Order: sequence, then structure tokens, then C-alpha cells
Amino acid sequence: MGSSIFYFLGFVSIFTALMVILSKSPINSVLYLVITFFSIAAQFVLLNAGFLAAVLVIVYAGAIMVLFLFVVMLLNLNKEYEPHKHIYIKFAGGIAGGILLVTLIGALHGSGEIADSTLNGEASYAASTGTIQNLGKSLFSDYLLPFEISSVLFLAAMVGAVFLGKKEKSSPKVSAEKI
Amino acid sequence: MTEQYFSGLRIELFLTMLILALLVGKVLAIKQNPIGTLTLISVFLISSIGISFMQNESGYLFGTMFRTNSTILFEKAILLAGTFIVFMLGFEWMKKQKHFLEFCMLLLSTLLGMCFMISSGNFLMFFLGLELATIPLAALASFDLDEKKSSEAGMKLILSSAFASAILLFGISFIYGTTGSVSFDTIASAIDGNNVQKFGFICILTGFAFKISAVPFHFWTADVYEGAPVAITSYLSVVSKGAAIFVLMPVLYHAFGRMSSTYIPALILLSTVTIITGNLFALRQKSMKRFLAFSTVTQAGYLLLGITGNNTEAGASVVYFMLIYIFSNLGAFTVVSILQNRTGRDDIGVYKGLYKTNPTLSMVLLLALFSLAGIPPAAGFFGKLFLLSSAAGAGYYVAVIIASVNMVVSLYYYLNIVKMMFVDEPEITIEKLKPAVTEQISLFICCCGILVIGFIPAIYEYIYNLSAAI
Amino acid sequence: MMTKIIRTFVPDMGYASLILLMFCGLIFAVGAILVSRLVSPYKPGKVKSEPYECGIETEGPSWVQFNVGYYLFALIFLVFDVEVVFLFPWAVVLREMGITAFIEIIIFVSILFLGLVYAWRKGALKWV
Repeated sequence: MGSSIFYFLGFVSIFTALMVILSKSPINSVLYLVITFFSIAAQFVLLNAGFLAAVLVIVYAGAIMVLFLFVVMLLNLNKEYEPHKHIYIKFAGGIAGGILLVTLIGALHGSGEIADSTLNGEASYAASTGTIQNLGKSLFSDYLLPFEISSVLFLAAMVGAVFLGKKEKSSPKVSAEKI
Repeated sequence: MTEQYFSGLRIELFLTMLILALLVGKVLAIKQNPIGTLTLISVFLISSIGISFMQNESGYLFGTMFRTNSTILFEKAILLAGTFIVFMLGFEWMKKQKHFLEFCMLLLSTLLGMCFMISSGNFLMFFLGLELATIPLAALASFDLDEKKSSEAGMKLILSSAFASAILLFGISFIYGTTGSVSFDTIASAIDGNNVQKFGFICILTGFAFKISAVPFHFWTADVYEGAPVAITSYLSVVSKGAAIFVLMPVLYHAFGRMSSTYIPALILLSTVTIITGNLFALRQKSMKRFLAFSTVTQAGYLLLGITGNNTEAGASVVYFMLIYIFSNLGAFTVVSILQNRTGRDDIGVYKGLYKTNPTLSMVLLLALFSLAGIPPAAGFFGKLFLLSSAAGAGYYVAVIIASVNMVVSLYYYLNIVKMMFVDEPEITIEKLKPAVTEQISLFICCCGILVIGFIPAIYEYIYNLSAAI
Repeated sequence: MMTKIIRTFVPDMGYASLILLMFCGLIFAVGAILVSRLVSPYKPGKVKSEPYECGIETEGPSWVQFNVGYYLFALIFLVFDVEVVFLFPWAVVLREMGITAFIEIIIFVSILFLGLVYAWRKGALKWV
């Protein structure tokens, strides 16, 4: 039961991730990405990390998707402006990606035994590992320094974004009437 | 107990305080005086360099999150010194900017990120430091919003570094999946070099190669260097690259120590390709910033070659080379910055006949280029010598020979610029330029660094003794 | 009282309840569309398939470039969204960890608050 759900979710996430790249309209890509995040959140639930699943849905499928939509709107993607990539570039990209895939499959070949041998020592995966209490405890003791650094990171990113975004005082406000 | 935290994190706390103070000053709209701000920052940076030499205890803080020892503190001192020179050389440009305080604040936060990065004992810390060192840099590269090229540079930097971060994380996830930990110590004892770990390692190395612009991953370098403001270009080429190299060493020697049969061939291949390609591209550049960009690509190749040596020796030679490289490259960039500010151009034609109008600047550039090329009186010669001898000591003679041949090739393009300055007739007339006080300070420090470091063997010995504890 | 009543009628099903909820939501959404499809009369027209714009006929392309100011709002919102993610586990363990956790979160929040004040001063919070 557990593993069949896992395989189903894995299939959904890989399929939708592929559709993100393959679909023509950027809006469709964003919507497929939402499904990808939902299926990954479900994977987290399978690992007993309910809080992380909720966070993934709230932050990624909620807030970051809104940002993605904004970017799509900001870019003003029209069919005419879309650059046409040369066939050789597509060809080279296909070959490079294919080689990477083959290498990955080769590396993962027989990895089942590796996973068994390395994880069995501490495989006693406690059901309480992913709970919010344990998360909070380790976040505010072992992971305290990364936690505080992340606040400086947010601050720097915010300052950078604000001064870049606010710089253009005379940015032409594009409205439907002007076009 | 608390004392230990304060002394271990003293440089980082200092920098954080400075960053927050700058932002508070901005928010409270305290009357902005660029010279006052610069003085404040300089005092902070110089005193941070000072306190980095005090009381060198080594050990871990926060579990295995934060590592500190005398080598790491020395590396931080190098980065702080580099940032100080960058502030000096770029001040003439910076003070004209409306967002001067934001500029300083973002630049210092990248420095903070680098300090955390080289102190990290854990891939999580490392990644956070890396992001803190990268994201504000993208904002800084596109600082000159009137210039289209500058925005392009910022965009290219953020996209390529986001891609590199993604590959790096992908690699880390493989390592985590097979060893069950992100801490360097645990990885070092749990790793056994199976195929999955090799794949993960190659992904991690790719992320690093992006950051230090080693060759198959160098495509962003020239465009970003050309478009970004000179201060940021010099910062990217020296401080940012230095931090990535410094953190690469403990990651390789410590976390992946058991996989040396995997990483050494990869590093040698990467460094050889980097040196050759960097040289070939540097030969045909017309813009001075692009030229220096490919010159730094080549230098990264030599650094990677040095890393392949035996741990202590390699560590010492890399740190020593970075120390010299900071002065040589920033010296060259100071001259580029002065000329670009005054003439508005950075193509190589500007430098023709520079000696006739500006003998001092030409002499400084000559010294810096000699040091970058590795011509004996300048310190760069000793830096490259130690790097190559470190690789030769480990027995990689073919790579060392290729690198030496390329050193000779590189003489051509470095000396070509020297010839232009001293022999050719001027293309455009430049009046005698008078560098501002800050630029004079930068020129003076760089010249001293290039001349003095090579002649005092005690410096290398000092670094060597520190590196025993890498 | 209320929870007690619910507990007696609905057993604790763990994550199965989540799946049930999602299933119900799906049925609700699909059902609404299906019912309207079945019940409503089918009369397509050119006007009906045009994008709605205050009842006036649309002029120009319906896909226009947004002002970058909106993006800033979303970005600042995202930063504080992530902050809440950190606050939640903090609230859960606060009693256990005591004053240390309190000081830690105060540092975190005040650094982010400084960023908010900066954005405010820069006028990034003004509606464009």
C-alpha cells in the first residue's frame, strides 16, 4: 500500500515536472508546477513530515507560485518576441541531457544495496522524527546559526530587491489604454 | 561558554553589527556623508583584520556547524583586506551613487556570507553562506541601472548562479541520501566512494566550478565582468573567487577525503582545460575588463592544479597564491577603474601610450601584470611556483608541464599590454590623471603587496605552519 | 465541549482524514462544474468568449505588462510568509525551551523588521 502510493506520487511529480518544461504556455507551466509541489508535499506526508508538507504547500504552491505568475506577467511574453532557438542548440542540449540521464541511471544502478547497507545502521526511522516538536527543538538548538543567518539573507535579498525595484521613478505605467 | 561563542564568531558578529548599523542609519535618514561612511567601514574592516589575528583557538561551535581555526581566520583576513581595497578603489564611483549605503550594506553582507561559508562544517551552513554571498552580488552587479549592460550582468549572474546552486543541491542530496548526514565529519567517516556518491560529488564539484569560473562552466564570467561596475567586477574576481577556493579545500580534503582517487583526476582535467581555454580566449579580447576576466579564469586553473597536491603543502600554496593574487588583480583593477571613470572607455586602445601621459599608473599596471603573469621580481612568480611545485610534489608532472607551457603563452598577452603602454603611440589623448586619495591608497597597498610578499619568505612559512591545521 | 462531541462521532484517522478532505473538495469543485454544465442551456457566442473588462468591449491585447511594483509586494509578502513558517515550530516548543528560544526569535524577527522598515521608508509599500 505504502509503496504503491509512493510510486503513484512519484509518477505524478515526474510527469507534471516534465509538463512544466514541455507545455507551450507559461501559465500552464506554472499550474503544472503547482501539481508537482502538491505531489511532493504528499511524499512528505508519507515520510511523517506533516508540517513540512504544509509548509511546502503554503510557501511554494501559494506564495512562490504567485511570484512566478507575476514574473510571467512582468515579462510580457508574446508569441512574436519568443526567441527561436537554433536546431543545433536543441540537438546539443538533447545530447548533453541524455548523457546526464544515462550517467545518473548508471550511478543509481544497484543503489538499492547501497541504501540498505548505509541506512540500516540508523534505519530505525522514528515516527516522531518529522513532528513539529522535534523540528522546533532542533531548529532552535542545533540549527540555530543557519536559522539566524537566514534572517540576514532575507534582509539582504529584500534590500536588494527593493532598491532595484524602486529605482525607476519614471517607469512607464503600462495600461490597457496606452497600448 | 558564551565567551567561546563570542570569540569564535567575532568577525561575523562585527560584520553583522556594521551591516545593521548601516541600514539603521539609512532608515533613520541620518544625514548621509559618504566619506564618513567610508571611514566607518574602513575602521571596522581594518580592526576586523586586527582581531582575526588575536587568540587563535580552533574548534567547533554549534555542534559541527561552525568551524574555526587559525587558517580559516587568516583566510578571512585575506578576504577582509580584499574588500577593504575594493572599497578604496571603487569609492570615486560609489560616492556618486544615490544608493551608496545600500551598496555598502549589500557588499558587506556578501562578505559576511563568505565568512560563514569558509567556516562551515556542514553542507547546510555552506549552502546558506553561499546564497548569502551570491544573491546580493546579483543586485550589486545590476547596480548601474542606467546601463543596460549592467542589468544584463545582474540577470546573467543570478540565473547562472541559481542554476549552479541547483546542481550543487542535487549533488548534496545524493551525498545526504547515501551517508545520512550533511555534516562534513559524518560524511568523512561514512563515505565509501560508491557510484551514487561519485555522481553526487561531481554535481557538487560542478557547483564549485561555476563559482570559481573553471572552464566548461565559465560562460557567465566575461559578460558579467564586463557589464558590472568595476568595483563589483574586482570583488567578484578576487574576494568571491577566493572564498569559493578556500571552502573547496576543506570540502575535498575533509568531507571527501576518502574519494581522492575520484576528485584528483577530475580536478586535473578541470584545471588543464581551464588554463588552456582561458589563455586562448584572453589572447583575443579587446575590452580590458573582458581581458582580465579571462585572465582570472586562467588563474583559477592554476589554483585548481595547486589543490591536487598533498594537503598541507597544497593548502599553504593556495592561501599564499590568493594573498598575492588579491594585490595583483586589485592593482590592475584600480588602474582600469581610474581610466574608465575618467575616459568612460575600457577597450585596450585607451592604454596605448599610457606611459607618456601617466607614468605612475603605467608602472602600477606593469607591476600588476608582471605579477599576474608570474615574472620573477613580482610576487606572483612565487605564488605560481608554489602551486606548481605542490602539484609536482604529488607527482602530476604532465599537468604541471602543460601549465608551465601555458604560463609562457600567457606572457604574450600580458606583455602585449605592457608593450602598448610603453611603446605604442597614444590613440586618444588623455591628460595627466590625478587619482583621488582613496585610489592612491589602493594603488599603494597593491604595489607594496606585490613587491614585499615575494621577498619575505617568512610569510610563506607562516602560512605553511598555519595550514598544518587545515 | 464541541471537540468532545466531534471526537465521539469522528474517530482520529490521522492522514486519512486529509485525503478524505481533499477528496470531498475535489467532488465539490468537479460537481459544481458538472451540474452547471448539465443544467445550463448551451448558447455560445462571440461576446461570451471574450475576456471580461467592466462590461466594455476589450481594446488591444488582454496580456499587458505589469508594473514591477506589484512584484515587490509579493516578494515582501513571501519573506514574511517564510518568517511565519519559522514562528510556528517556535510557538510549539517555546514552553519547553524557555528564554533562549525567545531571545533567538527576537533577534530573527527584529532583523526582518528592519528590512520591513527599510521597504516602508523607500516607499515600496505604497500602492502603485
